[in-house]
Amino acid sequence: MAGVNAAASSGRLRPTDQLLAILRLRWQLFIHSIRTTKGALELASRVFVTLLLLGGGLIGAGVLGATAFSFASSDELEWIALLLWSVFLFWQLFPIMGSVFTESVDLSDLLRFPLTYRSYFLVRLAYGAVDPSTMLGACWLTGITLGIGLARPRWLPWSAIVLIAFGIVNILMMQTFLAWVERWMAQRRTREIFSILFFLMMIGLQLLGPLAGRYGARIGPEAKALGEQISPVQKFFPPGAAAHAIAASAKGDVVGGLASLGLLGLYGVLALRLMSLRVRKQYMGESFSEASVSTRLTRAELIHPGWNIPFLPAPVAAVFEKELRYLGRSAPMLLTLVTPVIMLAVFGLGPAHNGAFLKRSPDLSYPIGAGYALILLTNLIYNNFGADGGGVQFFFASPVRMHTVVLGKNLAHMTILVGEMIILWISVSLMFSPPTLFMTLTAFAAMLFAAPINLAAGNLLSLYSPKRVDFGTFGRQRASQVTVLLSLVIQAVVIGCCVATFILARQLQRRELAVLIFLGLAVVAAAAYVISLRRADQLAKIRQETLIAELSRA
Amino acid sequence: MTLRVLESTSAMSAAAIATQALTRRFGELVAVRDMNLEVSSGQFFGFLGPNGAGKSTTIKMLTGLLAPTSGSIELVGLDFLSHPVEVKRQIGVVPEGMALFGRLTGNEYLNFVGRMYGLDRQTAAQRAAELLEFMQLADQPKKLVTDYSHGMQKKLALAAAVIHAPKILFLDEPFEGVDAVAAGTLKSMLQRMIARGATIFLTSHVLEIVERLCSHVAIIQRGELVAQGSLEELRAGVRAQSTTNDALASGAKLTLEEIFLHVVGGTRTSEQELSWLG
Repeated sequence: MAGVNAAASSGRLRPTDQLLAILRLRWQLFIHSIRTTKGALELASRVFVTLLLLGGGLIGAGVLGATAFSFASSDELEWIALLLWSVFLFWQLFPIMGSVFTESVDLSDLLRFPLTYRSYFLVRLAYGAVDPSTMLGACWLTGITLGIGLARPRWLPWSAIVLIAFGIVNILMMQTFLAWVERWMAQRRTREIFSILFFLMMIGLQLLGPLAGRYGARIGPEAKALGEQISPVQKFFPPGAAAHAIAASAKGDVVGGLASLGLLGLYGVLALRLMSLRVRKQYMGESFSEASVSTRLTRAELIHPGWNIPFLPAPVAAVFEKELRYLGRSAPMLLTLVTPVIMLAVFGLGPAHNGAFLKRSPDLSYPIGAGYALILLTNLIYNNFGADGGGVQFFFASPVRMHTVVLGKNLAHMTILVGEMIILWISVSLMFSPPTLFMTLTAFAAMLFAAPINLAAGNLLSLYSPKRVDFGTFGRQRASQVTVLLSLVIQAVVIGCCVATFILARQLQRRELAVLIFLGLAVVAAAAYVISLRRADQLAKIRQETLIAELSRA
Repeated sequence: MTLRVLESTSAMSAAAIATQALTRRFGELVAVRDMNLEVSSGQFFGFLGPNGAGKSTTIKMLTGLLAPTSGSIELVGLDFLSHPVEVKRQIGVVPEGMALFGRLTGNEYLNFVGRMYGLDRQTAAQRAAELLEFMQLADQPKKLVTDYSHGMQKKLALAAAVIHAPKILFLDEPFEGVDAVAAGTLKSMLQRMIARGATIFLTSHVLEIVERLCSHVAIIQRGELVAQGSLEELRAGVRAQSTTNDALASGAKLTLEEIFLHVVGGTRTSEQELSWLG
């Protein structure tokens, strides 16, 4: 923080000096982060993911641009509102939705320096602006602008002004939204409650499609009438105002266009004001205490022996219990685990002719649900130690070998998987029809192959590429990019093997062959798992310092 | 300046802690160089040094949290590298970051630790309850460790370090953030452990605490052991070396701070002061 100190020592606090010092600090942190091989790999993976995002941005820009071109060509610019609403909802919701690609930086750490409020506010604003949703949103708005410009070149300048203003309002609103969400998330309990509500909202959104498919025909006329009523109202919200500003000007209603642009500006000012309210409180040193009420207990009341699990050695049982307790206290993780059932509902609710794939092939619902459950579990499996944080030091200091710890964790994960498969079996039976004995056996046999392979790879990656995570929160947690990419490759191989087995059995018209092949593959997978477990001690020894440093990081 | 009061080349097996030529490198940097340390059974041993001297690196190597580059470590008569599990079973440690599991309650954490150290379920539960009471952590049984204050976390880490009654206890800054009442309780607990034959190896920057608790002290500087011995031996050594300095050579009893500053050369001249400071 040389720049900050220099500014202070001269007796004047120049915001530009402070901002430059912070930029320099971030640059130095970045340079130091790529000194190690792992850091360089992370950077390479990040570049790859950014390119993927950029690809998504460009494709989206093309689609939105073509649609905007079509609306502009047919002089139906009011319909641009539909595109702008999609962009707006994505821009506001995506950062909250997990933003796995976003690194969380606690800027309140900067407050120990004599930073002026203006500098602090600008830094907050600048950090928030560099975000995948902003990158994608900007791409899409550019596409829409070009679409309009290509169809009607004389509308291009005005459309560009309006859409730039719309983009800025989006950035400000997203920042404001995040600043308030951060305040609600400052306490563990509210964070967890908020996570549950958010998750339910996301599930609700996913169910909208199938429900509309099933009941859409019946409520069609009412929905249309509602849409017509909503249409004038939506003009008073940012996407509608931006669309109206463009459409009104195109029709020669300059006053109407300017008024809508002014409304958009008002939204920007309001967002800025609301954000400033929050940031100023942070700047003034706001903190939230999480004190709880005391309860005096007798010695006898304090004695709670750990779980008694027959046949398991004490350390394995202790780790098993600890893992399940951790998971039981993580509302986001628990909700993630019920997702397979919800997804079955999503794919099963709609009418059979309209994309309700599982309705047409209910026999596949059980293996697909089980596979999806395993994929969701890879969050845990591929970052075994992530939630342990600094506690990982204990495993190295305790008289227990690492393979014992890993075994305890794996057993906990497998217990969850088996539990999920039982819940899925019941759900499939209720939603469709009970899976046949053959499908049940095939799914279990496939799992005997897929689970050990994932556990083996997960154990090695957990030791090689750990990342600290907080089980209490949904988003703002970045998985190791190396792990993400490798797990994708492994999933592709496993799913490929499963699909190939099914196809082969079907081609040969010998369904039982699938079970036999899966059992054969399971033997290979079990051998791979045993090897990974044996390697765990040695690998933990080699990776000990990295593991402790990475997971103990605040 | 080296004050080698006690040479540690005697037979390693007699000591609770003994290292020979213990070295740890981080690339070009030698954090700990050829350390020959010896701590007898039943000693309350203070390990001191300026910031960055190598204290934490040493304690991490002695507890298995960091592998040495070369040299050997013997704890309770066993070679650490060839018998890591047996050695770890007999030591307790409060490491720098405390190594807690935030999403367990204090009681669950102590039960977990007890079982990892091989205690049966009942014994672990009994000791966990006793320790929670002793550390005054029993009144918020449902509170998760992550919601504990820093001082409460420190007390819990200490409780976890002793639940299996270790023969050697390693404590890295154990009193940091602990209130005065709890610190008093902890000190008496540690002294009782010493009375029963345990060995305690402690690092602290608060020299008054080390002086009050420890019978023997070692001082490390730039990765090398520069002094080792009982407090009286160190005092005598400093006096013998300080014929020109009246204060140190006089008959007055030297404090540990004076010994420490003499050994690490920590005194400053007025020219070295930061003149621009108000």
